[in-house]
Amino acid sequence: MSASTSTAEFNTRASSVQSGNTILLRLPNGDPKAVKIDKDCTISLGRLGSFYANELINEPFGRTYDIIDKKLTLIPPRSLAEDTDATNEYINDGQFVQPLTLEEIQALKQSGAHASEIIKMQIEQHANYSLKTEYSKEKYKKRKEAKYSKSFTTIEPTLFNVCEYWFKKDQTRIRDIRVDTLSQILNMANIRPGGRYLAVDDASGLLVSGILERMGGKAIGIILFQLTHSSFLVGSGRLITIGNSDSPPAYPVMVNMNFTAETVAPLSSLNWATADQSHTPLVPPVDVAPDQIKSERQKSRLNKRKAATDLLFSIRDELFAGEFDALVMASEYEPFSIVEKLVPYLAGSASIVVQSPYGQILSELHSKLRALPGYLCPSVTEVWLRRYQVLPGRTHPTMNTSGTGGFILHAIKIYDDENANAITSFRRQKPTATSSFSSSGKIIIASDTLDASMEDADGS
Amino acid sequence: MWSTAREIAAGDTVIIWLTRELVQPLVVTPGKDFNSKFGNYRHSDFVGMPYGSKVGSRTGKGFIHVLRPTPELWTLALPHRTQILYIADISLIISYLDIRRGSRVIEAGTGSGSFSHSVARSIGSSGHLWSYEFHEARAKKAKEEFAQHGMSDIVTLTHQNVCKDGFNLTDTVDSVFLDLPAPWDAVEHAKQALRKDRTTRICCFSPCMEQVLRTVSALNDAGFSDITMYETLVRPQDVSPIPVLQSINDVADKLKKAEGIREIKRLRQIAAGQRHNSNNNNDPHGEKRKRTSSDGEQEVPLVADGEDSGNGKRLKTDDEDMMDDVLEDSAAPAATPAKISLSKTIPEVRGHTSYLTFATLLPSMPIPPAAPTAAQGASPSQGF
Repeated sequence: MSASTSTAEFNTRASSVQSGNTILLRLPNGDPKAVKIDKDCTISLGRLGSFYANELINEPFGRTYDIIDKKLTLIPPRSLAEDTDATNEYINDGQFVQPLTLEEIQALKQSGAHASEIIKMQIEQHANYSLKTEYSKEKYKKRKEAKYSKSFTTIEPTLFNVCEYWFKKDQTRIRDIRVDTLSQILNMANIRPGGRYLAVDDASGLLVSGILERMGGKAIGIILFQLTHSSFLVGSGRLITIGNSDSPPAYPVMVNMNFTAETVAPLSSLNWATADQSHTPLVPPVDVAPDQIKSERQKSRLNKRKAATDLLFSIRDELFAGEFDALVMASEYEPFSIVEKLVPYLAGSASIVVQSPYGQILSELHSKLRALPGYLCPSVTEVWLRRYQVLPGRTHPTMNTSGTGGFILHAIKIYDDENANAITSFRRQKPTATSSFSSSGKIIIASDTLDASMEDADGS
Repeated sequence: MWSTAREIAAGDTVIIWLTRELVQPLVVTPGKDFNSKFGNYRHSDFVGMPYGSKVGSRTGKGFIHVLRPTPELWTLALPHRTQILYIADISLIISYLDIRRGSRVIEAGTGSGSFSHSVARSIGSSGHLWSYEFHEARAKKAKEEFAQHGMSDIVTLTHQNVCKDGFNLTDTVDSVFLDLPAPWDAVEHAKQALRKDRTTRICCFSPCMEQVLRTVSALNDAGFSDITMYETLVRPQDVSPIPVLQSINDVADKLKKAEGIREIKRLRQIAAGQRHNSNNNNDPHGEKRKRTSSDGEQEVPLVADGEDSGNGKRLKTDDEDMMDDVLEDSAAPAATPAKISLSKTIPEVRGHTSYLTFATLLPSMPIPPAAPTAAQGASPSQGF
């Protein structure tokens, strides 16, 4: 449960490390590593050594620690280097610069010398160290720290940080949804506290995590584990996801978010069969005559089954009742088939946001939606992001950068009016093959009426 | 913020969508009219309609769409008093600053309120936004808009110059957003306003690199860490279904056919000329043709079908029938080709909005206990 230490504010996740969390730690070489923090356990970080998990519990995020004898000591953060006029003019490449031999270094390590002492000695012995620019020195120190330091920094599980972690780890598993992509999707779909959304997430749960985070599930008095229909109070927000399996979907990204139970409570899942209004799911029987019940165990089993079946049907009813605020998709399946199926359950003026790693997929979808009356202004955009290193005197874009964050299609669901005519419909005097005269004498032209400015579209 | 009801009611703020470029807000006031180049409408006609309706004009010509306001639509529709932020920057800032339900945020300056609406949407009723604007008229206008959109409870708008006078807040907010000409002057004030018991964040939005460098310096001096900077842009795609691309083999076939047709016509002309000559010895045209045919090397221009030497109609030979068939075939239109949807980035894109400089303020180091234990291995300070 959240252990927010300040006011009675509600948060989607605790503001300090809690037992049971899966936390990201930044190691000296810059790489993040996910570790499970359990009370009274020891956490092993390989070369860095191990430490007691309890040392981290209730610590705010973002701090840096040294590991010494399995305990943690806080280290202050470092600041940026200021440059001097030193250049590499006098530094000769190829010259032997590091006189500390491997044996000497091993001896120092074994004697228990702190990493900083080892590095200090290396610096003292380094023939050209003073000739280096401050940045070069900084870089050198950083490299050595990465090698010898036994420290780490905790990374707050914000949506940004978790998305960035997954994107670097394996962007294919999150369908190339980069931090800017995810941010735009959530804004385009107007995800907000109390909103009701439909999602199709084949991106390891990244979209679901984003939606739940921005919904900030309401802290209601009732613990929502006995999930019956009446527990979903108006105002608490809702997220129904549809997936391709019988069992509840695994959303591994959610593990890194460390959500509280209240945050996850609004989430329910269906699959493409149970979400089908024309299909009645086949469920095992729940009504057994009382005299047939043979044991308490059987009774409890039947009750469980009944609860599950009731839940399934109530989620279905909720979906079919419609009026959801947005549909968000990042799916491996053909997107138009999904849009077609789920858009009837959206409210008018609701956003449809579809992400794909591929522009071609969304171009196809765009062409289909554009030809139909119920979608306003479908548009496809590509996201572009560039990060800069900002160091006084050395500011420039990062040398390595992401090549793609995928593409996004956005459209708005509208209620069509067949009787409404485009403004240009009266400019045409000649009846064409597709026009006809109505009984009132008005010329009705069947054409692309999606956009009132109607550049007479693609030969209709 | 805005209505969540299914139907439009009198007094609601709605968004009128005319075209992609013409999106405007409207407060539904029964009795008033809305006139545009897409027709005439009475506000009272909108009342009771579901949000998202396409509405035809009273005159029968033209239509509009009436949509539910969202911060994104508001950004497209709002009356600009200043340069505003758009979705790419807004969404990245909100993510990086971890703005969510219950967040407490500072924004300076308010400007036209584009960013403000996005923040208000995300923080909900349990969060708070302190927004500062140093221009009095703009501050007043923004305040009115916030009130109209039901945001007054969660947004406190102050007319103040924050670089000079700070934010009047201490240890209060989770994040600060600065869209100012000289954000470095507000950095210390921001530090004071940010809470110190957990990680907090700041973003400075500046169009020029010189501003970024000064800001970075100020952030560093003030003790912020993880200073970084991003640029983000949107590349809209132009999608058009075009016929499947033709193979050059098809083109070659066509050209070959055309060659064949020209040859046929040339031969026809010769044949016609010869017939003519045999009838008319002194015909200058005939001689010309004879010369042409004997040369065999003159270029024969493609003459229109049916053109003769001018001697009038005659019956066609079998050969000529076949030639006519070939001509007809080549003139017949091809079957409608299959289409593919292709996209490319639009020709002109927005190339730059501003640089987003981000930094983090780590929670304060705890005060060490009164009797410090023996140094657990030298832990030298690593700051400069």
